[in-house]
Amino acid sequence: MEHARHVFRALLLLAAVMAAISLGRGFLVPRSFGLHGPYRFDNVAEQMAVRPPRHGGAASCTPCHAANAGKRLAGAHRTVSCEICHAPLALHVADGRRSAAMPIDASFTLCARCHRKILGRPERFPQVVLEQHLREQGAQGPIQGRVCLDCHDPHSPKL
Amino acid sequence: MPEITGFAFPNDTHIHWSLMIVMYPYVTGFVAGSFIVTSLYHLFGRQELKPVARLAMAASFAFLLVASLPLQLHLGHPERGWFVMVTPHFTSAMAGFGILYSGYLAVLILEVWFVWRAAIIERARRSRGALRALYKALALWTYDTSGEALAVDHRAIGILAGVGLPMACMLHGYVGFIFGAIKANPWWSTPLMPVIFLLSAAVSGIALLMVLYQARSALLRRPADPPCISALARQLWFFLILTLTLELLEIVMMAYERSEEWLIVSDLLSTRLQFSYLTMQLIVGGLIPLILLAVVVLLDRYLHARVRNVLTTSAALLCLLQVFSMRWNIVIGGQLMSKSLRGLRSPYEPELYGREGILAAIALFLVPFVILWLFDRLLGIDEPPGDRAASAGA
Amino acid sequence: MSKRDESVSPNRSPSAAAPAEGPSEIARRRFLATVLRLSGGAIVLLAGVPGAGGATGEAPARASGEGYDWSEHRYAYLIDTQRCIGCGSCVRACAAENGVPDGFFRTWVERYVVGLEDSHVDSPNGGKDGFPPIQASFVATKHFFVPKMCNHCRETPCIQVCPVGASYRTKDGVVMVDGERCIGCAYCVQACPYGSRFINPVTHTAEKCTWCYHRITKGLRPACVEVCPTGTRMFGDMKREDDPVRQAIEHDRVAILQGHLLTEPQCFYLNLDREVR
Repeated sequence: MEHARHVFRALLLLAAVMAAISLGRGFLVPRSFGLHGPYRFDNVAEQMAVRPPRHGGAASCTPCHAANAGKRLAGAHRTVSCEICHAPLALHVADGRRSAAMPIDASFTLCARCHRKILGRPERFPQVVLEQHLREQGAQGPIQGRVCLDCHDPHSPKL
Repeated sequence: MPEITGFAFPNDTHIHWSLMIVMYPYVTGFVAGSFIVTSLYHLFGRQELKPVARLAMAASFAFLLVASLPLQLHLGHPERGWFVMVTPHFTSAMAGFGILYSGYLAVLILEVWFVWRAAIIERARRSRGALRALYKALALWTYDTSGEALAVDHRAIGILAGVGLPMACMLHGYVGFIFGAIKANPWWSTPLMPVIFLLSAAVSGIALLMVLYQARSALLRRPADPPCISALARQLWFFLILTLTLELLEIVMMAYERSEEWLIVSDLLSTRLQFSYLTMQLIVGGLIPLILLAVVVLLDRYLHARVRNVLTTSAALLCLLQVFSMRWNIVIGGQLMSKSLRGLRSPYEPELYGREGILAAIALFLVPFVILWLFDRLLGIDEPPGDRAASAGA
Repeated sequence: MSKRDESVSPNRSPSAAAPAEGPSEIARRRFLATVLRLSGGAIVLLAGVPGAGGATGEAPARASGEGYDWSEHRYAYLIDTQRCIGCGSCVRACAAENGVPDGFFRTWVERYVVGLEDSHVDSPNGGKDGFPPIQASFVATKHFFVPKMCNHCRETPCIQVCPVGASYRTKDGVVMVDGERCIGCAYCVQACPYGSRFINPVTHTAEKCTWCYHRITKGLRPACVEVCPTGTRMFGDMKREDDPVRQAIEHDRVAILQGHLLTEPQCFYLNLDREVR
């Protein structure tokens, strides 16, 4: 096929390009790809170690804060994790020792997030209309600051 | 911050597939549509389309060269775009892009080469210096323009057109599959989606060729071939009817079946997409060109050439708008709706600057025309006059 | 044969004339053909190898050196919507534990206020700051909260559509995203029926709840479960027979979200209402 020489040349060029791509591809696929499925298996270990856990769980507070922890466990807030009001453990503990001041959120907005009366909460859950509750208890003044803590101990709040 | 009416899932308020993802099927639609026109001549032998056959192939090629740009511009990590070629995950239609694009690119480059080979060799002979070296390289250093060689070329073109047509259709059809196969989004999820995309691609390609041909004829000061215009108009009308029928069918079925998505979809269409869907896609881009083309096709023999040109060009321009609106309504419209089926977000306003912005989209649309102009300068879109009689139909 | 080239097309360029095809030409052709065939075979072989010289492929995730074997676990999540008080502690804990950017949510809480004629759903900032009081414009007969997160489905639409294999499911049942492979195409975000995924505005990759994989592989509970004050959220291991979550799934009336899509979610709900999608 003398008159088709240009065809062979074009096809040869095409084959060379395809070969280069196929060969190159073999070197570019990550090593752990495809071991357990169509993904890079190394990432599983990377995800396990992506960051040190920030929350310690309520039990991790007892060694240093035994008194308040014990009071909490005996009271109405026994299921309320310390870290809800005091931020995750890692914010004030590093390498098993204190690294910063422990955050304490004493504002009424924190209490209101759970205990303000709104549509949605189960009826039997303790919730109040804040203004009404304060007036009924004979408390003076506006709703601001640490007004809930004037009467309630956050670690054992039931009066 | 977008405004939500109703309730949207908290993560559902962002438009991730932006203007660039509207441009991508628009551009590949031109690629597929132009290729359909050139195949009607090279594969199915419709002689009346000969005046636009080479222009159509060059246009398909020009748009193909920019087709991957909208995707690159849209990715969160454009520098990782090549991962799709290295570790394609083939359960994903998007992974097919690497193979479909490079496969079709290879086929089209080959076909362009075979069609323009004689012209390349002719220009190699006529030029000097660096340009001559370039042409010789483009000819792959073979210079056989004998009758037998051109006959080989003719056969190759036929084979490539036969292979290239389904590939071009798949290159655009898979985009429809990407949307149609997402069961999470009821505005997208329908088996009709790949078909609708492909048919409207044909509409956009034929309309583009119509406009290009008229513009080129005006620039070169020669009349557009009336039988060719009539043939293009007939094809455009045919594909427009099919496209509009399927697009409407989808809505009608959804409304009739009244499944859980109908309430939010009808809300979407009548509020957020009122202008782009009802006005632009259906009326301005749909009904009006349908009527204009009906006049051109049914009253063909009574029409003066100028009237035919004006009517068809207007219809073509409106069709270009229709196809853009259709892409917009699907891509953007589907994201205005939350998966909660209870909320819609405020309309998407693309930024002006930025890599996914309006200016980038306009530039993307104009670049292929620049490529076409360069193509004309370098290789010449039309056949060289001397070879026209002797060439074996290349 | 070659002599005829020059005579057939005298008007064409003489430079197109081919040289006489002697024995060396034929030998060259044969050589080329053999080379092509051999290299074609080599290409097919090499192209198929996934990662040349990689690991053995049978070891479980022991790379962290802690002796965790993922084949010993199959995690599941249980949510009792009747207990949720909408405090949003879970959303805050998740954001703190995982560095979730503002305005995006790996987990969130939705409030449903339902009456006979109408229903109202809201999730202000995902429930991160709790919920404000609202008035319903209709007679509300029931109201409740529904916490949500990635369901870690067994037949995920999100993994199915990832074009580069960045999204995957571990043997212990957790769906995750490889942040180094993700190209940020957002196809998975579109494909998730639950709206669990988002594109992180800082890393520009897909992100979602991982059930705190970095915690559960150390025997800890996910942060959201850890802080939940009412016991709404429960995390369990289906491979342990006495696991309370497994017991509930086996014996109680549980529901899943959008079950008709057959994604087989592994987050199970107790007391789910028909209004919840």
